[in-house]
Amino acid sequence: MDKAKREKLLDLFQSKLDRPMRYYLDVCTRCGLCKDACFAYASVPKPEYTPVWRAEVVRRIYKRYFSLSGRLFPFWGESKEIDEEALKQLNEAAYTCTGCRRCMMYCPFGIDTQAIQAVAKLLLIGNESEPEILSMLADASIEKGKSLDLYKESFIQGIKNLEKEVVAKWKGESDQVIPLEVEGANLLYVALAGAHSIIPAASIMNAARDNWTLSFFEAVNFGAFVGDPRKTQLIAKRIIDEAIRLKVKEVVICECGTAFRVMKHLVGKQPFEVSHIAEVMARYLREKRIRVEKDRIKGPITYHDPCQSARNGGVIEEPRYVLQHLTSDFIELTPNREYNLCCGGGGGLVALENEEFRQETGKAKVNQIKDTKATIVATGCENCHTQLGFLNEKYHTGVKVEFLTNMVANSLVLES
Amino acid sequence: MSDEIKADKTMDLKGLPCPQPVIKVSKGIKEIQVGQVLQAITTDPGALSDFPAWARTSGNEILKTDQGGGLITFWIKRVK
Repeated sequence: MDKAKREKLLDLFQSKLDRPMRYYLDVCTRCGLCKDACFAYASVPKPEYTPVWRAEVVRRIYKRYFSLSGRLFPFWGESKEIDEEALKQLNEAAYTCTGCRRCMMYCPFGIDTQAIQAVAKLLLIGNESEPEILSMLADASIEKGKSLDLYKESFIQGIKNLEKEVVAKWKGESDQVIPLEVEGANLLYVALAGAHSIIPAASIMNAARDNWTLSFFEAVNFGAFVGDPRKTQLIAKRIIDEAIRLKVKEVVICECGTAFRVMKHLVGKQPFEVSHIAEVMARYLREKRIRVEKDRIKGPITYHDPCQSARNGGVIEEPRYVLQHLTSDFIELTPNREYNLCCGGGGGLVALENEEFRQETGKAKVNQIKDTKATIVATGCENCHTQLGFLNEKYHTGVKVEFLTNMVANSLVLES
Repeated sequence: MSDEIKADKTMDLKGLPCPQPVIKVSKGIKEIQVGQVLQAITTDPGALSDFPAWARTSGNEILKTDQGGGLITFWIKRVK
């Protein structure tokens, strides 16, 4: 590696070295309490899947260049040069970690492995060796924000084609089955760019007679997955600008854990509230704005807490409140809530060429589901849904993986 | 009309939710030569805006888009 490249990468590293990061890198005692917390290690007990191991390369580079001992005695102790070998190790660590932050719950010092992996990802982006597909998807999202007029008409046409299916679930009448561009709406619903994410939610919001409008942009933030802070902000900004332009009161994020966490917790205070669609469904039920038929969907049903919306986002009881209305045959996974095991698909991992890894490291989740004897696994995140479906196929678990919105939409009781 | 453009490779992406179709296509286009055409058949309406945005940023060209019978078909030329 030439000097200019090394300096560039060290500048990137430096940009991440705030007080919390220095603390995370300084205080680890290698006690190993984090290892059993990791879903990957729980499935395949290889040392390289432990959080402490994943953090070690970043920690050693930090020691080499940003500690006094490393600068004075670079060949002494556990410091590491930043070179091609180190970058390869960073890649293996960073893009096999879903950033679920379960290890943080068990670490006596609260070390945030996801934040440490964010350093690794930034160095890999600086080296242009991050997964190309994630950067490409992030760039496509940013492009849509820049040139919306080029894509608006085809999007509107695509949305029009969905209206029949919304009406079939909701059986109501409205001028706008899937409203767009409604200034002053209560809710701006930000879906994924797919029918499965729009039709059920539209049916529910129409059934609740809410004044809502659909975003032109997809919720998913590939900038966050790849670990690029600039792209993360640009992708989120498209939605923030749209919400401000339409003067909406609340931005509602679809079943996408990372999109919710970015908008709720990582973009600063905005002039609107941010909610997950599960919170909105719970509110509708609590206020009796929608009614659902209990046990129309036959159980037993369990619920997989998505890491980013539950442990890292705080949406824990609302999905359970919704499920209480849907079934009398609910059984919790063990462990659950903020201690739930990651499914292994988060952090954009489901978009990468890593099927063998995802299959192997999903074993703990498969066993957790099997133990419940549930026939349906509900969840509230696209990545989780994809990964759980993949595990279902590979391990023949015979469960049906369902989005909460779809279950609510299929259980709606329509007022006469 | 659709057979006016000869496809060198066809990808059946029916039933896949976004962004899976665009992920598959971005991999699939690398399996054809520059100048050749990939036909992608999807059912997801999100593809109508996702594919053009992807083509613009990846430097490929959408020659034609066709909708009918619940299917959305793209003919994409690999440009680089």
